[in-house]
Amino acid sequence: MSFRVLLAVLAARLAGWISRLTGRGGSSLPGLVARRIAPQVLTRLSQSLGWGTLLLTGTNGKTTTAAMLRHVVEGSGRRLISNRAGANLILGLTATLAQAERWRIFPRADLAVLETDEATMPRAGQEIRPRVVTVTNFFRDQLDRYGELSTTVQYVARGISFVQPDGVLVLNADDPQVARLASGSHEVIYYGLDAGAHVEAAGYDALDARFCPHCGSALTYDRRYYAHLGHYRCLHCGWQRPQPSVAVERWSRSEEKVWVRIRGEQYVFSWRMPGIYNLYNQAAAIASAVALDVPTATIEERLASFRPAFGRMETVMAGPTRLWLALVKNPVGFNQVLGAVADEAEGRQAVMIVINDRYADGRDVSWLWDVDFEYWVGRLKVDRWYVSGIRARDMAVRLKYAGVPKDLVVADEAVVSLLTRATREVGEGTLFVLPTYTAMLEVRQHLTQMGLVKHFREG
Amino acid sequence: MSDEKRFNILHLYPEHMNLYGDRGNVLALTQRARWRHIPSEVMVREIGEPIDWEAVDMVFMGGGEDTHQARIAEDFLKIGPELASRLRDGLPMLAICGAYQLLGQYYKTAEGRELPGVGFLDVWTEPGTTRAIGDVVTQTSLPIVPESLVGFENHGGRTFLGEGARPLGQVALGQGNNGQDGTEGALQDRVIGTYLHGSLLPKNPHLADLLLKWSLERRGVTDSLEPLEEEEEMAAHQTIVARSRNS
Repeated sequence: MSFRVLLAVLAARLAGWISRLTGRGGSSLPGLVARRIAPQVLTRLSQSLGWGTLLLTGTNGKTTTAAMLRHVVEGSGRRLISNRAGANLILGLTATLAQAERWRIFPRADLAVLETDEATMPRAGQEIRPRVVTVTNFFRDQLDRYGELSTTVQYVARGISFVQPDGVLVLNADDPQVARLASGSHEVIYYGLDAGAHVEAAGYDALDARFCPHCGSALTYDRRYYAHLGHYRCLHCGWQRPQPSVAVERWSRSEEKVWVRIRGEQYVFSWRMPGIYNLYNQAAAIASAVALDVPTATIEERLASFRPAFGRMETVMAGPTRLWLALVKNPVGFNQVLGAVADEAEGRQAVMIVINDRYADGRDVSWLWDVDFEYWVGRLKVDRWYVSGIRARDMAVRLKYAGVPKDLVVADEAVVSLLTRATREVGEGTLFVLPTYTAMLEVRQHLTQMGLVKHFREG
Repeated sequence: MSDEKRFNILHLYPEHMNLYGDRGNVLALTQRARWRHIPSEVMVREIGEPIDWEAVDMVFMGGGEDTHQARIAEDFLKIGPELASRLRDGLPMLAICGAYQLLGQYYKTAEGRELPGVGFLDVWTEPGTTRAIGDVVTQTSLPIVPESLVGFENHGGRTFLGEGARPLGQVALGQGNNGQDGTEGALQDRVIGTYLHGSLLPKNPHLADLLLKWSLERRGVTDSLEPLEEEEEMAAHQTIVARSRNS
């Protein structure tokens, strides 16, 4: 064992201990310290994993899919490391592996499941040499960080080039930009939706990738599930959606069940999280579990006991008020969340939207104009809109231009005081709370202080 | 031209060129027309489709990814001469980011390829080494109150102005055209080119109304626009203006 790696790991744990002690969440500091001391620390630690590493990336659904996959893999009795707090940049990944054990230097785990930021994929791939890469989808998300969509796809493609020769790619067949990532040199498990019934496309979606990745012609869709996800083919060069080996064939919201065909055989799984996009998340988790050789019976059993992570469509009781929380971060996700609100709500509704523009939220709030409020305002029966966060005023303007009367909108930048007011006014009903990432952290902190949700360690 | 009140906006390539909520500009213009009971329609035009120029009161075009921009470039150059002659004739246009670049003389890609623009605006664009990303506040020379314009820029190209074009504003916050000469955007006849997303017009209602006024004037409607309550818009505007004071 190299002395530098030993030192790096110990220093990382000390840094983590100190930052927790001083009350800072700090999930990147230990990674920074470790990499300063031993730049190859991530490579060395990941090499010691018996089975290897799965990297999970894509625009939407990383956190939910990773949580589901973790829960399934833990049921198979294998020892697992994962970046639970979602620290998915290179420092976060390094910190996760360096802090996996208390006394030992190298992790004893069989495998690591690491949610990985798209732009981090080239570096993470090169250093870790993953056994499996799972890709969820590509949407415009936080373009101010990466520039443009095609750049993001290239990052992921480069990361995939480092997958071990006997490795597997788990790809969304219904997203043309993801399906194109099949390299030819790796086994691919495709997942997708094969529902017989036509799904009505709800609302305007910002269309991102409607062009054939091979020849650039417009793609023809026989069926579209949401945004650019569906059954597509190129009339010009003949390229088309690959047949998925993990295919969702049917679902029922009332029974909370989903029927999935895995390599020709049909299984029925529990399905708790509403929305088409959560069907995709669940399909991605199942296909990844298949790639990790988890028995189908285990997948079935573990999905039945899965509970969503905080803020990913969860409900919390605040006195008599039911708070329904869902993160919003890009137009497609926001449209889907509003669709879920419409499904969930009975009678009149109150909705609170919290928009921050810190780095982790995306500093550009232009995307609010790509959310189809014009469509949803007519379909939701909202009595009162509460808008908050650093960019509360932008959200108020967005609602105004979507035709919401001024007296139905309450705007206040201060999140806690508006949340308190909204909860009081809603009383025994449901308040739908839709915050961006850092706004969700504020909401969570407040609810923790009120004793409504348990505090959990981050990092 | 009749002096019938009407506001038809031609939205060029909304599928390809709508990168950062640029459709918000069209929503803002049409809503502000409708709130004043001026009938308003959006004419959407994609590659190869015909244009009924007589029905057009204003043109809008947004930014796109490089690959999407490359796809529409050929078609845009094809309609370029007709468009340019109407712009010279006083047809108002708002061109954001990629559209702003394409309306100029040429732009050079990061790989050094020089691509021709429509050549209406006397501006040209060179590749930059890093992307200019962040909030922008400028002081405009347009006859509007307040003088500030706010938005969010996100561009790799650096645009320079020739003698034919005036800057739209001087930056108080952000990079603007090229990060060197302190200018942002370009103004020529009644055409505004700018790097500002945000979306721009919803939080700059005074600029939206100027474009609306220009469009109506061209139809012979000269009465001043009925003022609208704009408390929300100006509050959003001030959120960004305040950042220039603290920077």
